[in-house]
Amino acid sequence: MLRQQGFLWLFGHELRVLWRGSILVRTQKYVLLPALGVALIFQGIALALAWSIIKHPLPLAEMVLIADLNLFFFFLLMLSRAMTRAIDVLYARGDVDFLLASPIAPGRVLAVRMVGVAASVAAPWLLLGGALANALAWFGQPWALAVYPMLFGEALVAAALAFALVVALVGQFGPRIARRAGHALALVMGVFIFALGQAPRFMPAAALGRFWRALMPPPGAPGLASLFARGLLGHADALAASLAFSLLVFLLVWLGLGGQFAAGNMSAAAYRPAGAAQRQGGNFRGNASAVFMKNLRLLSRFPGLVSQTVYRALTLVPVLAILAGKLRLGGVWVVVPLLVFLTGQLALFFISVIVGSEDAPELADSAPVREARLRASAVSAAAYITLLLMALPVLGVLLRAPTLMPGLIAAMAGVLASNLVLGLRLPIPVTRAAFGKAQNGTLLGLILGVGVSSTWAVAAWLLVAPNPLAWLSHIRG
Amino acid sequence: MQNGHALRVRGLTKSFGRKVIDALDLTIMPGEFYALLGPNGAGKTTTLRMIAGLMRPDAGDISVFGHDVVRNPLAAKAVMAWLPDEPLLYDRLSPMEYLEFVAGLWRVEPALARARAEELLETLGLWGHRHERCEGFSRGMKQKTVLAGALIHEPRFLLLDEPFTGLDAASARLVKQMLQSRAAAGAAVILTTHILDVAERLATRIGILSGGQLRAEGDLTALQLHAGVAAGSLEDVFLHLTN
Repeated sequence: MLRQQGFLWLFGHELRVLWRGSILVRTQKYVLLPALGVALIFQGIALALAWSIIKHPLPLAEMVLIADLNLFFFFLLMLSRAMTRAIDVLYARGDVDFLLASPIAPGRVLAVRMVGVAASVAAPWLLLGGALANALAWFGQPWALAVYPMLFGEALVAAALAFALVVALVGQFGPRIARRAGHALALVMGVFIFALGQAPRFMPAAALGRFWRALMPPPGAPGLASLFARGLLGHADALAASLAFSLLVFLLVWLGLGGQFAAGNMSAAAYRPAGAAQRQGGNFRGNASAVFMKNLRLLSRFPGLVSQTVYRALTLVPVLAILAGKLRLGGVWVVVPLLVFLTGQLALFFISVIVGSEDAPELADSAPVREARLRASAVSAAAYITLLLMALPVLGVLLRAPTLMPGLIAAMAGVLASNLVLGLRLPIPVTRAAFGKAQNGTLLGLILGVGVSSTWAVAAWLLVAPNPLAWLSHIRG
Repeated sequence: MQNGHALRVRGLTKSFGRKVIDALDLTIMPGEFYALLGPNGAGKTTTLRMIAGLMRPDAGDISVFGHDVVRNPLAAKAVMAWLPDEPLLYDRLSPMEYLEFVAGLWRVEPALARARAEELLETLGLWGHRHERCEGFSRGMKQKTVLAGALIHEPRFLLLDEPFTGLDAASARLVKQMLQSRAAAGAAVILTTHILDVAERLATRIGILSGGQLRAEGDLTALQLHAGVAAGSLEDVFLHLTN
């Protein structure tokens, strides 16, 4: 039995609320088996990777560089996620006031929130890194288990900095800008990782080699600059120092914010936005265009719109490279399935945002408007934005290879219609539910959406590829 | 305890760019049922939030049963219950789980908490729903669950912001009776409401807040005298004092 009001008691409550609200629980009957399957596949890949690492050991300097890069990527991705989570637990969930009105120490509530955010941002990386660490330990390399404390320590620092940043940003600019800052950070990081992965395609091998060598620690024993990397590699002294540093940062931020939190300055009620000065809307329209414009506004004001659209649109990088003749992957026709897949994913995302951002569905339902018209309006708004974004690459195909157009247009129309209808019924989880509201996105929608986009991409490939079954003859040969 | 006051507010001031509460003085005795009335934006919710320790005043002192809310907030909160105008409820918890959590926050001994929770849920007509998650509840059911949460630790001072919103007539009568019996047992109650009939029938004293200042205070007769509308209803008095 945990002591009432204690840290663990409150943390248990936090976990219970988070767990019951998680998408995994809400759709467990659909995703539990696939999730288990994916986990097994991951563990299998991790075992193969671990075996390969053991068979081809790298010099310490290279190991340190790899560890440094991983920690750097993990940290920025954790920080970005932690900023969004910090906004949720401080300003969106709305139970801060309820807890502050009770005789529980406010510092403890803040600590639980911060540790909770750290745990939630660390979890996916612990699961991924843990699979590899477990495999390495299984093959007699127990040092790899250092990934667990190191990543959790890193998450503590990320959560602490995220809380400090969010409080400062919300105080200055409001939650919307603070949330955008978190998304922008993830976006920059995502683009950087993508560009790094593509570097061998656009950088000469010699230049790339010089780049990596410049990042390597100096020969001999790596020094203080590689402290965290050595911690990740299981060096006991570096591990202890890294953890001590993480705890210190966490404690300093916790102490620094404690006073503000206790004074009630870090809650939704404390944040009073200034009246919107700029003119927004006010052009009264007819029935259909009023509903359509409402949908477009919901879409355009979605906080993660730009970053999430850019993520999905990264597919356009190889497409544009192929259309510009900078990249050859068997012919221009290769862009068609890529564009069809992207169309499907964007359509599903946009329709999910519109469905998920609808705060007052009963308002429209109570109006003398046919339900079909409301659905059509949501679909039109999502289709309009999708087509607007896809117009440029489609124009590129028209100029570069006009013969591909019929296949491309047919498959794009198919994937657009399929995923818009799917998204209306099963939106993907894109918006976090506010306090007291249920999340309406599902993982099933996400999985089915990817499946539908892939199916139409394959169909497009069959339509436009000069010899789509050529690979069969390769297998026979 | 300080001169037996349940609540003692002196010189309370708060600004958000402009002054929202301006040197407010307020005293409530144990067993008293106090209705704080005022037009929208008068500062009622801000006053209650400062008393509940959710917001620091710019100036002034607040003490609850002798505990200074700013300097010793935990001791003050231990004897208080605050009910906001929007029910703060975890939709994914059942009423029983919610009460278990609230009881834990106020450190009510578990066996006692269970007995009180069962009694409250029974009385408020939520017994049949005690293990259902609150996400499907109507506004009235949510309000009753939150009220049960406010009462489970038997607070000596209740701060209620529009407590009757969403309640049907029978539930509203029941809640009024429960609150009156708490007051009769020595607890102090302060509530804000826009339903003037409720204030007139329930409150032993009424305060009218406007522009961050207490315009008048007392029972209906005192308010009528103050407003100079001898035979007027509370509505007449209220409109006269706030316009």
